[in-house]
Amino acid sequence: MSQISLSAKTSPLRRLSFSRVGRRLARFLSFFQGNPTGAIGGGIMAVVVVACLTAPWLTEFEPNKRVARPHVEPNAEHVLGTTRQGRDVYSQLLHGGRTSLAVAFIAGSIATVISILVGIAAGYYGGRVDQWLNFAMNVVLVFPQLPLLIVLAAFLGQVGPTVIALLIGITSWPWGARVIRSQTMAIRQKEFVLAAECMGESKLRILLIEILPNLTAIVAGSFVGVMMYALINEAGLEFLGLGDPTVVTWGTMLYWAQSSAALYTGGWWEMIVPAVTIAIVGGAMALINMSIDQISNPKLKTGPHLKRWRKLNKAIEARRQSGGGL
Amino acid sequence: MRYISSRLMFYFVAFLIAISFNFLLPRLMPGDPVDALFAGAAGRMDPSQMDAVRAMYGFSEGTLIEQYFKYVKSVFTGDLGPSILMYPTDVTTVLGFTFPWTLFLVGLGVVTAIGLGLVIGTIAAYRRGTWFASLFPPIAAVVSSMPAVVTALLLFYFFGLKLEWFPLSYAADQSLEPGWTWPYIKSIAHHAVLPLIVIIMVSLAQWVMTMRNAMINVLGEDIITMAEAKGLSPARIMLRYASRNAVLPVVTSVAMGLGFAVAGQIFIEIVFNYPGVGNTLLKAINARDYPLVQALLLLIVVFVLIGNFIADLTYLWLDPRLRKS
Repeated sequence: MSQISLSAKTSPLRRLSFSRVGRRLARFLSFFQGNPTGAIGGGIMAVVVVACLTAPWLTEFEPNKRVARPHVEPNAEHVLGTTRQGRDVYSQLLHGGRTSLAVAFIAGSIATVISILVGIAAGYYGGRVDQWLNFAMNVVLVFPQLPLLIVLAAFLGQVGPTVIALLIGITSWPWGARVIRSQTMAIRQKEFVLAAECMGESKLRILLIEILPNLTAIVAGSFVGVMMYALINEAGLEFLGLGDPTVVTWGTMLYWAQSSAALYTGGWWEMIVPAVTIAIVGGAMALINMSIDQISNPKLKTGPHLKRWRKLNKAIEARRQSGGGL
Repeated sequence: MRYISSRLMFYFVAFLIAISFNFLLPRLMPGDPVDALFAGAAGRMDPSQMDAVRAMYGFSEGTLIEQYFKYVKSVFTGDLGPSILMYPTDVTTVLGFTFPWTLFLVGLGVVTAIGLGLVIGTIAAYRRGTWFASLFPPIAAVVSSMPAVVTALLLFYFFGLKLEWFPLSYAADQSLEPGWTWPYIKSIAHHAVLPLIVIIMVSLAQWVMTMRNAMINVLGEDIITMAEAKGLSPARIMLRYASRNAVLPVVTSVAMGLGFAVAGQIFIEIVFNYPGVGNTLLKAINARDYPLVQALLLLIVVFVLIGNFIADLTYLWLDPRLRKS
């Protein structure tokens, strides 16, 4: 008896929470429905991230151990073949992705934090502060970043993934900072900021509570942008042999493939697999970035909804011409 | 005029910062850079040359400040000492025969990419909702998000190695005598096709997106409505009214675009073994030829600064408001 009453008590609660989750999920999915670029990009990223995180369950081979003869063609046992050193490419791809994505994530986070600090400070305070910060931004922006990174890495000796993430993070903030700065300048003039100032709110509160939430789309955009850039540059630096070749990442996979002349000796998969993966993940990030752009600036939208709008417009035009008016 | 002089001042300061960075680099290195350097140059240099390199590094007598000014002076007089990689050739001479190739590729590639980007961006904005405008920008963005290494390697593999349509190495056929002869020029063009395609693929999207987004914003402005009300032809509105205003943000994004192109160029040269600055940079790094590495970095920075200045001049030419002030 008591059990029944208990279940009767809990079941509506449970149903409630389920329906709430369902509604959340539906809202989340409907967000992507009108946004095909975001859906495709987000989908690809989700699959890649999950595959990399669950790498130990998806493959039985150690990424850094010799498990077969060199350059075995892709087959049932070694889905993507083996490298010149007889390592499993599929396993390297999944395990290497962990490091590569982590580098991109860390670099993106560092750059985003710096760009928020610099951008908001310059945009909000204006005057002297803005002049100096803007100057610093322009100087960093005008220097070609990758050659700088290459030379730094060369002088520091073979750098590990952590150092690469740090280097990329502290050199790629100006793009985000510039956009955040100009947006902050625009928001600063809005009434709600003036109201908060009149009420004597502290500067920090105004910056964090009043202004920052309005920059979400821009911040997200620059975060994904830096992540994409970090992924590309990390792979580039490691391809040149400036990274630590003993760590498995997508970049060092390219490096080993290049130094073992995989393309010339017929082991094309050793080179093409990481290359295509980097291309796909970079592309997915670009798509996500495009959809963020479209959310923050609906003018940029193209595709189905615009077609619908055009059709409606044409109908109105036709009615007007037939003399029927609206 | 004030605009030009303030821009020049900015580039000069940026250049000084680059020199200072270069000066600090060997001092940031773990261990003694000069020892590492001599280990790399084992037996190829005599003691007097070693002293010259030491001086080149700024590791001469005197305080850090004195060393710094000595280094700045050596940069401005172009006296950068001998290269270790190509000993006894001077660093300056090495720059002289690698730079033209890079200038040729980057210059042609970037100019083509900007031109294509402006045209495609304009069309994509003006004909929004058509399949071209919906499909091309995302595709271009995805293609450009591929690292230059990856694009270069894929083209190298398919069109160079598999199909054998294009040569795999060097800037021209090594058996030909360099000169302004038809076969030599033809060979240069044949060698440049794949690298050029890569550089355009890598940088195209940036110009397309910037132009498209700027154009969409301009199209919402009153001047366009005004032009339409006057009954002007769509082509005239698109070119004379919208494009001219929309192209301004594109010019300001040259700094970023040039950086991308130069970065891409380094990988392109390495993959296609093209005898330019990027390829030499990697060789110099591997040979621990640090003076050459520093000089190449400085050369790249100067190249990008000059490119930016040209963009500034273009801006001035396009926007009469700046000329008046």
